[in-house]
Amino acid sequence: MATIAAAPPYTQTAAESSNTGLWSWLTTVDHKRIGVLYLVTSLIFFVIGGLEAFLIRAQLAVPNGQVLSADMYNQLFTMHGTTMVFLAIMPLSAAFFNFLIPLQIGARDVAFPRLNAFSYWIYLLGGIFITVPIFFAVAPDGGWFGYAPLSTKQYSPQINMDFWVLGLQILGISSLAAAFNFITTIINMRAPGMHLMRMPIFTWMSFVVQFLVALAFPVITVALVFLQFDRFFGTNFYAIGAGADPLLWQHLFWVFGHPEVYILILPAFGLVSEVLPTFSRKPLFGYPVMVYSGILIGFLGFGVWAHHMFSVGMGPIADAVFSLTTMLIAIPTGVKIFNWLATMWDGQLRFTVAMKFGVALVGMFTIGGISGVMHSSPPADLQQTDTYFIVAHFHYVLFGGSMFGLFAGLYYYFPKISGRFMSEKLGNWHFWLSLIGMNLTFFPMHFSGLLGMPRRTYQYDAGQGLDLFNMLSTIGTLVLMLGTLFGLINLWKSWKSGERASSNPWGAPTIEWAIPSPPPEHNFDELPKITSRYPLWDLKGTVIAKETTVAEEAGFVQRSAKQLGIPMPNPSIMPLITAAGVIFMFSGMLFTDSNIVLAIGIMITGALWWISALYNWLMTPLEDAH
Amino acid sequence: MNFMFRHRRWFTVALLAAMAVGASACGAYPNSTFNHTTDFNTSIDSLWDKLLFWGTLVFIGVEAALIFVIIKFKRRPGGADPKPVHGNTMLEILWTGIPAVILIFIAIPTVRTIFATQAKAAPDALQVEVIGHQWWWEFRYPEYGITTANELYLPKGRTVNFALTTVDVLHSFWIPQLGGKRDLITNRTNYLWFTPNDDLATQALNGFCAEYCGSSHANMKFRAYTVEPEEFERWAQHQARPAVFPASAGAAAATVGTVSQAPAGAMEIAMEGGDAQDSLNAVAAAVAPAPMLEPYEFAREQLPAHVIPTTRLPKNISFDESLLAQGDAERGREIYSRSSCIGCHAIKGNPMSMGVLGPNLTHVASRHTIASGYYINDAKHLALWIKNATKMKPGSLMPAIGIGERDLVLKVDVTAARGGLTDPQIADIVAYLQALK
Repeated sequence: MATIAAAPPYTQTAAESSNTGLWSWLTTVDHKRIGVLYLVTSLIFFVIGGLEAFLIRAQLAVPNGQVLSADMYNQLFTMHGTTMVFLAIMPLSAAFFNFLIPLQIGARDVAFPRLNAFSYWIYLLGGIFITVPIFFAVAPDGGWFGYAPLSTKQYSPQINMDFWVLGLQILGISSLAAAFNFITTIINMRAPGMHLMRMPIFTWMSFVVQFLVALAFPVITVALVFLQFDRFFGTNFYAIGAGADPLLWQHLFWVFGHPEVYILILPAFGLVSEVLPTFSRKPLFGYPVMVYSGILIGFLGFGVWAHHMFSVGMGPIADAVFSLTTMLIAIPTGVKIFNWLATMWDGQLRFTVAMKFGVALVGMFTIGGISGVMHSSPPADLQQTDTYFIVAHFHYVLFGGSMFGLFAGLYYYFPKISGRFMSEKLGNWHFWLSLIGMNLTFFPMHFSGLLGMPRRTYQYDAGQGLDLFNMLSTIGTLVLMLGTLFGLINLWKSWKSGERASSNPWGAPTIEWAIPSPPPEHNFDELPKITSRYPLWDLKGTVIAKETTVAEEAGFVQRSAKQLGIPMPNPSIMPLITAAGVIFMFSGMLFTDSNIVLAIGIMITGALWWISALYNWLMTPLEDAH
Repeated sequence: MNFMFRHRRWFTVALLAAMAVGASACGAYPNSTFNHTTDFNTSIDSLWDKLLFWGTLVFIGVEAALIFVIIKFKRRPGGADPKPVHGNTMLEILWTGIPAVILIFIAIPTVRTIFATQAKAAPDALQVEVIGHQWWWEFRYPEYGITTANELYLPKGRTVNFALTTVDVLHSFWIPQLGGKRDLITNRTNYLWFTPNDDLATQALNGFCAEYCGSSHANMKFRAYTVEPEEFERWAQHQARPAVFPASAGAAAATVGTVSQAPAGAMEIAMEGGDAQDSLNAVAAAVAPAPMLEPYEFAREQLPAHVIPTTRLPKNISFDESLLAQGDAERGREIYSRSSCIGCHAIKGNPMSMGVLGPNLTHVASRHTIASGYYINDAKHLALWIKNATKMKPGSLMPAIGIGERDLVLKVDVTAARGGLTDPQIADIVAYLQALK
């Protein structure tokens, strides 16, 4: 029999439903609400990044496009990359980390709830800091990779790259704080019996990702500190006139940048590894191997960075070594693909929209993986790197992989998050238009790249055999945008008036489905005792949890944490005020050139601001005395 | 529906495969990377064929399995719950092993090709120094004492060894039709070599900057002409000579000039930083009584469409074309020689013009493009370019010269006091530059 009783029926208490004002969102330290904030914010940035992409494609629709100036184009492609990586996909993953990890390990919250809120506010304000300049045409324009010496003051004397350097530093604080928070949470706060090898696979992949963040972000922080000191204080880390070696930046950036790729993809892998078993009604095939391959991918991810640099002339030995490590990483990735196929094999596949996105990830990521192996071979890469072939590759990985996985997760977990289903009808439009749109956009780029179209070029000549491919890509972008629009409408309508969902509407196996949808503030009335990997499925016999219905759960009254005597952390505005102080302090740096007194004034004020807010934060107990 | 999309992908993959095999020298795709025109791209393409073969195999395998699974195991109403299979060690070892074996088939030729293509170039290779600038290419042939810009001549059948450096930010040197790219890294010298096939057709090819380098990264192109060795000698001998001016002085003057002005030319190279040995070679080459060859350039009327820039002229700049007919080369030389032009440009044979920041203009009229492959090299484009380069090319570091123009980079208005020139004066300079064949 199942180790956890059927989910309790649920009705919101009056106390909970009144707890929704703006102030409650500004002060919340509830991991689920912070998850929702991450979700909404990252989707807004996803739309902004998408509009940037649309302008790029509009410019490239025909040869010698006249929609954008060269400088505007350069700002847009820089911001498209920066936005999608740091402001859309990472935080969209963070939305799931926040919402799911405590639920999946049977905890009442994360280890440091206020630090969690602080991470979110830093992300939001940092995101605004780095995004606003595009509306004034002074956005960063050195590429999301910010290669020195182009990003140094000598070659980018304007304020543009200042926003980028400072913005990424700010966002790094958010990612690092969140990483330590989740590592601590997963290590310390698992429910009784939740051994590591019983953890849901999404939590496992998130666990790996937190280590990647904790180890990779310090490297870019160092790289950015160097650049920041060069730009603001005249040091010479990347000053070529003083003999600097520009490869210093490239190595530092990619030591961060390649693990970053796995930071972007592993959460999606984790989500799909939840979705496929549920809708196949079969446990994940080879759970231990899925865990180990995730760890191995994370580990090897630190040993392949220089495959981004095959054209810089590292010499044959370095090229060969990094080529082989890169090929090696294809093995654990391939194992994941095969295990997903085996999970579905002989199952009872139910094609909900979540499942469709999940299956599409397997199909699309495979394409991105194969083209990835193609440029793991340095001589071949010399024809591919910095062309549209690479653009095609990583969009199959990041759109067909990360985004499809995150969409799968969104459709799958939306009932848990909101207590309502997303519309399958609108969801189907969203899915099919996205699938068609993404293939139409990115598949032709394989051709334009191999037929000689360099990346990051705002114009191309007519008569180069590239017109058709570019036109197809631009049309594809329109389809993709239409699909995304359906997705957003779906989200909005379902949030307002979607069909009510029960606690376990999919018949899923993991413990987050044992509690009401949406979960009460304290998650679990009593902490569950875990005795297997799939507590809601009794896999010794043939009993797999049936979907629960709303009718079954009618009439149940969920008691609040207070009624149950469970101490919960108090809301606090201090994380927001501290975060605002940090941003204020950083923004002072922008004035170092124009008005040093003002700059120092702002920085000191900002420092005093966040230090006093932090003091207040630390001096206020997390919970009421009990 | 679903099946149809899968189908479309199959089709495109088949097309990709077909292209890889048959697209070399395919006129429709003038910058294709699937060529066997040099030893370098032949070995790259044979690697690519392996990658494509195994990639296609894996693609077909995985996608076919996926399609099979989603059709075959779709939930049937009333179907019993499936057996809870947790894994299968043998299977998992198998599909860890298969990719590993495939990767060995890729890794071995990869490593071989890495070492083969990155070996030292043959000692008798033609040395070409490639120097990246924002946003144009400087090319030097030290053994011939040539400094030129944006147009490369490569003799068939002889290995050419490019020494790649940059004076500012990173760039990347790429002629897709001839081989892979190599970055130009500040404070480093990179090398790239290949040997154009003996039997290659005489071709005009596009070259690109492939590393993002700022505003006009997209506009940093160049041309490469693969020519017969004999044509190359004629081209090189002519390019090594000082500017033939006035043109009417004819070949007789040029013959004398070959010897008398050679040391000056060599000196210029030394000043520009070529090493001593190169200078000596250049002197030797110039002083040796070489027979006068007919100058060669890739025939303008034979230029294929893909190397003719299609850049649209900006709307906010104009030049009265009737002035161009009145341009006088001799007057132009005078104006040029006392204008700000000489601060950046060198013309061998014009002792006033020794700048090194901009492209060398000694034989500028023998080139088919200006502004790094961005415009056709004709009187109209030259005039507009000189009048206000910052409008003609985003971010251009060549300042505006025409009086009344706004310099978009320096953010100043050009006046006579700032050294601005009138349109008739610019027309004279155009006439002078056009005389520098």
